Amino acid sequence: MLEVKNLTKVYDDGTVALKNISFTVEDGEFLIIIGLSGSGKSTLLRCVNRLIDPTEGDIIWDGVNLAKLEGEELRKARRQIGMIFQHFNLVRRSSVMTNVLSGRLGYSPTFQTMMHQFKESDREKAWQALERLGIEDQAFKRADELSGGQQQRVGIARALMQDPELILADEPVASLDPVLAHSILTYLERLNQEDEMTIVCSLHYLDLVQRYSTRVLGLREGEIVYRGTREEIRAMTDEEFQEIYGEQAQRVTGGLEGNLDEFGLGE
Amino acid sequence: MNHRKKPEQEARKPSLVPPYLAGLLSLVVPGLGQFLARTYRRGAILLGSFISLVGLMIWRIQLAGKRVEGALEIIQKAYRLRPILIVLTVLMVIFYLWIAYDAYLMAKRTRGTPLGLIFMVLIIFFIMGWQIGDINPVALVTDLDEAAGPLSEVLWPWERAVTYPEEEIIAIMPIQVPCTESDPPDVPDYGEGEPRLEAEPRCGQLSEQGGETGTKITLHGENYLPGKTVNILWEDPIGNEFRARQGGEYVKVVPDENGEFTIDIVLPYRLLPPSATEPSYIWDLKARQVTSLGAAQASKELKLAIEKIIETIFIGMMATFFGVIIALPVSFLAARNLMSANKFTLIIYYIARGVMNIVRSIEPLIWAVIALIVVGLGPFAGIIALTIHSIAALGKLYSEAIESIDPGPIEAVQATGANWAQTIMYGVVPQIIPPFVSFTIYRWDINIRMSTIIGMVGGGGIGFLLIQWMRLLDYKAAGIAIWFITITVAILDYVSAEIRERFV
Repeated sequence: MLEVKNLTKVYDDGTVALKNISFTVEDGEFLIIIGLSGSGKSTLLRCVNRLIDPTEGDIIWDGVNLAKLEGEELRKARRQIGMIFQHFNLVRRSSVMTNVLSGRLGYSPTFQTMMHQFKESDREKAWQALERLGIEDQAFKRADELSGGQQQRVGIARALMQDPELILADEPVASLDPVLAHSILTYLERLNQEDEMTIVCSLHYLDLVQRYSTRVLGLREGEIVYRGTREEIRAMTDEEFQEIYGEQAQRVTGGLEGNLDEFGLGE
Repeated sequence: MNHRKKPEQEARKPSLVPPYLAGLLSLVVPGLGQFLARTYRRGAILLGSFISLVGLMIWRIQLAGKRVEGALEIIQKAYRLRPILIVLTVLMVIFYLWIAYDAYLMAKRTRGTPLGLIFMVLIIFFIMGWQIGDINPVALVTDLDEAAGPLSEVLWPWERAVTYPEEEIIAIMPIQVPCTESDPPDVPDYGEGEPRLEAEPRCGQLSEQGGETGTKITLHGENYLPGKTVNILWEDPIGNEFRARQGGEYVKVVPDENGEFTIDIVLPYRLLPPSATEPSYIWDLKARQVTSLGAAQASKELKLAIEKIIETIFIGMMATFFGVIIALPVSFLAARNLMSANKFTLIIYYIARGVMNIVRSIEPLIWAVIALIVVGLGPFAGIIALTIHSIAALGKLYSEAIESIDPGPIEAVQATGANWAQTIMYGVVPQIIPPFVSFTIYRWDINIRMSTIIGMVGGGGIGFLLIQWMRLLDYKAAGIAIWFITITVAILDYVSAEIRERFV
C-alpha cells in the first residue's frame, strides 16, 4: 500500500508544485492521475521514487517512509518501483538489450556492471521481458532505431527487470498516437491484472482514463480537485471532465474504439 | 517581426521637407534628403555606402597616380594607367544623382523598393573589388604554359623517386712535365680486363698564355664501356683535379663498340708557383666514365619524404593525444550545465570558455612560430602548437557534447535503483562517448592535415621539405612531398569518416 501524506513540493525558484497532498493507493490498483501540464502530476510521481525530493510530507510504501530514505536504502526502495516516462528516456545510442539490462542495475554488483557484465539469469530475464512485449527481434538494435511505440515497450521491459511491485508511469502515451496509446496501456493493464502490480499513471485523455483506471485523482495547480472511483469515472461526461481540467480537454480516439479489435487490442 | 514594419510606419508620417528640397539636400549631403523625408534607415545606409565608396575611390586613385603633383595630375595619371577607374567614377556619379532622385521620391512618399540602389552599390563594390584585388583572368590563360613545366613535374614526380647506383670506370696515366733527361714515370700496372690507357708522348711542355700551345699527347684507352661518354681530366702535382678543356669545350670522347678510344690532348696552361723548383713534375691524365648500373633504388628525396611523412603523422597523433588528455578535464569546466551551480563555478566557466575562444582563434601556424622560440626547430614545436589548438577546439566541442546530454536517461537509470557510478556508466557515458570519439577522430584528422604545413615554419614534418624543395625550384621532389601529403590526407579522411560513422 502506498500512502502519501501531506506532500508539499516547493521548487528552488519558489514555484509551489504540490500543496499538501494526501491519498492512498491500495495494492493492485490502477490509479490514474489526470490534470493539465504543470498541474503537478510529474512532480508527484517523481516524489514517490525520490527523483525529486519533497519539501514536506511522508510517502509510506510497505511501511517505509520513502521521503526520509537516503543512500543505499533509497536505492533498495527504488528497485521495487519501476518507472515509465513520457519520452521513454532510453539511452538512444545504446542497444535495446543494454537499455533493458540497465533495469537490473540496482540488483547487480557495481564492479561487474562497470564491465557490462550481467548475471546469466538477468540476461534470461531480459529476453523474457522483451518476448513478453513482443520486441525480442529488436534486442540488438540501437534504441533510437525503434519506433516510438517500440521504444516505450523497451521502457516497460526495463521497468519489468526491476521486479517492481509498483509502477509509476508519467504520461506514458503522450508521445504516441492513439493506437499505440491503447497498446501501451494494455500492456500496463496486463501487468496490473496478471502480475498484480500496483500502477500509478498520469494521463491526459478522458477515454483512456475511463477505460483503464480503477480509480482517478484530478490535480489542478498542485491540489487534488477530484477523487473518483471506477464507476464514477465511467459515468463521467466530457463536460464534467472539462470542469476538472478547468479548460479544454480532449478525447484521444474519437470513434477509434470500435476498431480496436482489429488491432488485437480490444478487451 | 516588429522592426520589419518600421520603414512603412516612417513612410506614413509626412516628410519634413518638400520633394525638390529633399533632392537638393541629398545632392549636398547624400542621404540627407532621405533623413528629412523620415526614411532614416535608408538615408543612413546610402550615406554610409557613399562615404565608403568615395573613400575607396580616393585611395585607389592616389595609389594609381603616384609620383605626380596636383590633384588633377594625379587623377589624370590614374585614369590613364587604370581605365577601370573611369568606369567607377561614372558609376559613382550615377549613384550620387540616383541618391538625390531617391530622396525626391521618398519625400514625395512614392513607395519605391530600394532594390535598384542596392544593386547599384553592389555593382560598384564588385568593380572596386576587381580593381583592388588586381584580378586578371587573362594571366590565367596567357601565362599558363609557364606553369605547365613545374605543374607536370609536380603531378608526376616519380622519376625523382628512384636512383641507380653509379660506378666509376677510371684509368690514370702519369705524364712528366716537362720532358727531362730522366725517363718518364712508369706506366701503371693496369689489371687484366680493367680500363687502361696508353699515351704518346709521355712527357711534354705546358701551354703558355697567349703563346705556344703545349705538347699534344695522343691518348688511347681500352676496356671502357662502349657508347658511354668518357671525360678527360687532369690532376696537377699539388692534387687539383680539373677537366681538360680544348677550344673552350670540355674534352670528352665516346668509346667505340670495343670500348676503345683515341684522342689528342694538349697539355693545359697552368701557372707554376715560384716554389716549383724541381726540374720536372708528374701530372696525372685521367679518363673517367661514370655509369649507372644495377637495379633501381629509392632516391634520397623519396627516403626523406617517407621519413618526414611518418614524422608528420606522429606529430598529428601526439598532438591529438596530448590535446585530448588536457581537453577532457577542461571541457567539464566549460560545460554550462555542470558549472551553473553558483557564481564561482560560473566565473570558471566564463574564463574557460573565453580562454578557449581566444586560443582557438589563433592559427596553429602562429602557435608554432611562438613554440619555436621556446623549444627550437623541430617536431616538438609542431606538437606544442597543434596541442594548444587542439585543447581549445576539442574543449569546446567536448563541453558542447556535455551540455547537450539528455537528462532523461540519467533519471531513468537512477529510478532503477542504480548507484552513482552505475548512473554515470549507463546514463552519462553512452551519451558522451560517441560524440567524444567522433570529435577526437575528427581532430586527429585535422591535426595531421595541419602538421603537413606546420613544417613550413619549422615545426617538423613534411611541410619543411615541401617548402624547401619549392624554394629550390625542385618541383619533382616537391611533387613527391605533395603526393605523400595528398595520399595521407585522403586515407585519413576516409578512415576518420568511416570510424565516425560507426560511432555516431
